[in-house]
Amino acid sequence: MKSLNILLVDDDPTALLVLEKGLSLQEYPVTTAADGEEALGRIAGESFDVVITDLMMPGIDGIGVLKAAKARSARTEVLLLTASQSLKSAVDAMKNGASDYLQKPVDLGELLIILEKIESFRNMAASAEELREAMDVTEHNAQETIGRLEMEVARLASLLEQIREILSDETLEAGKRVEKALHCASNDSTRGG
Amino acid sequence: MTTQKITADEIELLTKYIYDVSGIAIEKTKSYLLETRLGPLLDEFGLDSYRALHEKAKGDFRKSVETKIIDAISTNETLFFRDRDTFEVFRNKIIPDLIDARSGRAPALPSVPIRIWSAACSTGQEVYSIAITLKELLVDLKKYRIKLLGTDISDAAVSRASYGIYSKFEIERGMPQPLLQKYFSPVGANWKINDEIRAMATFQRLNLLAPFGALGRFDIVFCRNVAVYFNPEDRKVLFNRIADILEPDGVLIIGATESLTGVCPRFEPKHHIRSIFYQLKGGR
Ligand SMILES: C[S@@+](CC[C@H](N)C(=O)[O-])C[C@H]1O[C@@H](n2cnc3c(N)ncnc32)[C@H](O)[C@@H]1O
Repeated sequence: MKSLNILLVDDDPTALLVLEKGLSLQEYPVTTAADGEEALGRIAGESFDVVITDLMMPGIDGIGVLKAAKARSARTEVLLLTASQSLKSAVDAMKNGASDYLQKPVDLGELLIILEKIESFRNMAASAEELREAMDVTEHNAQETIGRLEMEVARLASLLEQIREILSDETLEAGKRVEKALHCASNDSTRGG
Repeated sequence: MTTQKITADEIELLTKYIYDVSGIAIEKTKSYLLETRLGPLLDEFGLDSYRALHEKAKGDFRKSVETKIIDAISTNETLFFRDRDTFEVFRNKIIPDLIDARSGRAPALPSVPIRIWSAACSTGQEVYSIAITLKELLVDLKKYRIKLLGTDISDAAVSRASYGIYSKFEIERGMPQPLLQKYFSPVGANWKINDEIRAMATFQRLNLLAPFGALGRFDIVFCRNVAVYFNPEDRKVLFNRIADILEPDGVLIIGATESLTGVCPRFEPKHHIRSIFYQLKGGR
């Protein structure tokens, strides 16, 4: 039940197959593309959470794929695969918004760690956002509740005051006072919206 | 991370749409909320505006777009044993009282029925907290006929609840170590609820603002931290309907920061130790 949906791009069929097998074994949903052209088609059709692309490819290269993926969705993370001699272009790619790069041949263990980090970072970000909204709504609601209770307390206090006045009204005889007080309590004029 | 900006017209359109399908009332000032929650759906469907998303949802008779919008907009934030005091009262007062009342009423019954509903169960933490509390307290569950139902409007939340698998992060929020060891087993980096506890519960998708009389009657209803997303009129309707399906001596539990004052006069608060629960006036 891995939640990252991955696009894998490499013009070297063997490398592509090896990585695809490795990721599928870990239960990642994987789509593959055999070159930059095909990758762009896939990206147009569907948005991926992670794009893993070879940097050096004939025609549309890794940077082209990177740009297309980022244009489709800024949320997509792009990982570049580079031959050791192309370190400088890997650094350029990072400047273009790639999340990380890996040297070929790819160490699957290393790739899995990066993917897990991406996944847990996304989950944390999502829960932090949920928490913020839940707190916001709860706080707002608690404010309303306190407001309502304040009004209720004020209403009861004023009712109590009225009854106290009636009960201490010396112009009335005792029986009348009680009757009037009960009447006041049951026809509570302070009760309202 | 860039997100597509939402226009005032689109806010109008989408808050109305969301209200119609879920009852969730979003303030018009919360444009950021619509952007962060619905922005990813624009990417996913390859749409260039929130208006287009609204149109797509309206035109989708299989309702898969509606489902995704509800999943995205509902705040599923929850944790195990949320509000400790509530669970203390549930364990030390509500359940023992209920069992006393039920066994006294029909001593001939071979098992005591206990029907509990978690009305907005999100990803299931509330339901499994209830189930674990029952198991810890009652030990031999065969003496009871427990019906424990969890419902939520979010499809994604209900399927996660039903799956019963939680990340380390979710477990750390509220699940005590001894109970973790006792009732969960590790799967990869996550934890899965044990079959015995899982089997106590059933889950289904349900919109609380549609009539739910068909669920039958309940002894205890947990309706926590969901009415806060509704407007005052809808809250009244909801709690009235809950009053209709609650047994006369049944118990309603709401969130610790919520109140029924001015919402439903049919309920009266009962105070026990540090916590409040509700019962029907003139019940029992
Ligand atoms: C913040 S969670 C609360 C979860 C749990 N009851 C608790 O207190 O921790 C709110 C849940 O209410 C659900 N919800 C929102 N509107 C709903 C509706 N109309 N019907 C049913 N559930 C709804 C959301 O999907 C979300 O999972």
